[in-house]
Amino acid sequence: MQGLKASWGLTAYFWLIVIYMIFPVLIVIPVSFGNSEFLRFPPESFGLRWYRAYVSDPVWVAATVTSFRVAVLSTVIATTAGTLAGLAISRSPRRAQGPLTYAATVPIVIPHIFIALGVFILALRLKLTDNEVALAFAHAAVAMPFVVLITSAAIRQIDPTIERAARVLGAGPVRAFRVATLPPLIPAVVAAAIFAFFVSFDELIIAQFLMKGSETLPMRIWADLRLDISPVVAAVSGLLIVVTTIAMACAETLRRRALRTLAP
Amino acid sequence: MKLRPILWLLLPAAVLLAGFILAPSLDLFRASLFDPDFTMQHFQRLVDRGVYLDVMWRTIRVSLIVAVLCTVIGYPVAFFINLQPSRRQTLLLFLILIPMWMSILIRTYAWIVVLGRDGLVNQALAALGLAQEPVQMLFTSGAVLAAMVQILLPIQILTCYAAMTEIDFDLIRAARVLGARPRQAIARVFVPLSLDGTLTGLVIVFMLSMGFFITPALLGGRQDTMIANLIEFQVQRLNWSFAAALGVVLLVLTVAMIVLLRGAGRLLARRVLKGGL
Repeated sequence: MQGLKASWGLTAYFWLIVIYMIFPVLIVIPVSFGNSEFLRFPPESFGLRWYRAYVSDPVWVAATVTSFRVAVLSTVIATTAGTLAGLAISRSPRRAQGPLTYAATVPIVIPHIFIALGVFILALRLKLTDNEVALAFAHAAVAMPFVVLITSAAIRQIDPTIERAARVLGAGPVRAFRVATLPPLIPAVVAAAIFAFFVSFDELIIAQFLMKGSETLPMRIWADLRLDISPVVAAVSGLLIVVTTIAMACAETLRRRALRTLAP
Repeated sequence: MKLRPILWLLLPAAVLLAGFILAPSLDLFRASLFDPDFTMQHFQRLVDRGVYLDVMWRTIRVSLIVAVLCTVIGYPVAFFINLQPSRRQTLLLFLILIPMWMSILIRTYAWIVVLGRDGLVNQALAALGLAQEPVQMLFTSGAVLAAMVQILLPIQILTCYAAMTEIDFDLIRAARVLGARPRQAIARVFVPLSLDGTLTGLVIVFMLSMGFFITPALLGGRQDTMIANLIEFQVQRLNWSFAAALGVVLLVLTVAMIVLLRGAGRLLARRVLKGGL
């Protein structure tokens, strides 16, 4: 805002709040490199002890692999369904766009525990509990609204006349879409896929209700935090903090680019 | 585009939402009311036992406190970002986004590291000679509040920020030209115009708080149980019908409170816009 400058007090306040938001997360990283038997701060000596414990424990590795498998399947489902819906919404009559967006994004408003319980009770009746595919679909349903929001915002920036021009020049509807609309849409789709991946990879409650035999990574962390807090959780958290930050920063950059460069 | 291809494109999303959101939700309502014949006993049990009413009341109270705290703390932060040159705004927004991307489980775990018996705060207090014994901070309501506000604050900051960027600066300039001091221009033009977006943020934070599960379970004591924790507890004890009734109540309470908050907010906004601050 021009003509107005933040006062010294407001600047200090801003950084204080940023520290409050970020510090508790950052502090996990040095703790995870501790070498002692228990969680301590500051660590008496540094080393990779708990990272080694993480990768050599078959239970933790299995949980990580399960989460990864579920998240990949869920991402494919959510991104496909969400992108198609985003396209449909942006191409539908203007009057229908509002209600359609509303209908597609309603799951955001529903508490996860409610969805988790509903999915669980229905799965009990259909004998679908302990089914990774069912879990992936449930995660996809929760993630899809975000995909719709991200892709439909990007599609709105794409000039529809280019696709129409391709049609006039003799391309079929699919080809015209592939040539004119798809390329500028790809960054937004990739961004949406990364968001969707982490919705599933981080999700605890639906998995907790639905799964009995195999365990996802959040379920493993949860079980560990409830019993005794082993420093392996610190290593897993440290790893996830770094990976999530990098992946999501990429997603956010792509999302912003999709919104910026496409503007006419 | 013709209507038929549009419907085909919508089909996968519709199937996904119908199968994994709508059908489970309806089944939840069914499970809460039919056991196996129609019965109100599960809702009756909820009203009869004071413990359950306490949990519901606490869930609403904690969610309101968290929403108000996030608004009061977050608004000046969003305002500060809005004052910066646009390139720096993007950088500062990333600082807000980074903690938001982290899973709630990990952010809650981080608070255990900070507040635990051998945690950071206790180590610091001991090193400074301020405390002989570790101070009990985990399993208190304060820990739950501190963590919930920290987890939800980015959402309120981003919502306020988005509302502020929509404001036409010519209006502020006009107020200045007409003789308003910077403070006056902010209080009488800027704040009223950002009120609606701020209220939306408050409602979103409230809504998300109502379903909170991980944080009260790990950082709070028995006295901090919220509805979602009660649901998990009942599921573990295989009381699915009662858990379903709790789920229905959680959803109804959340929606009712959102309507109430929006209504109260509109009323307040109208008063502020009419009378100035």
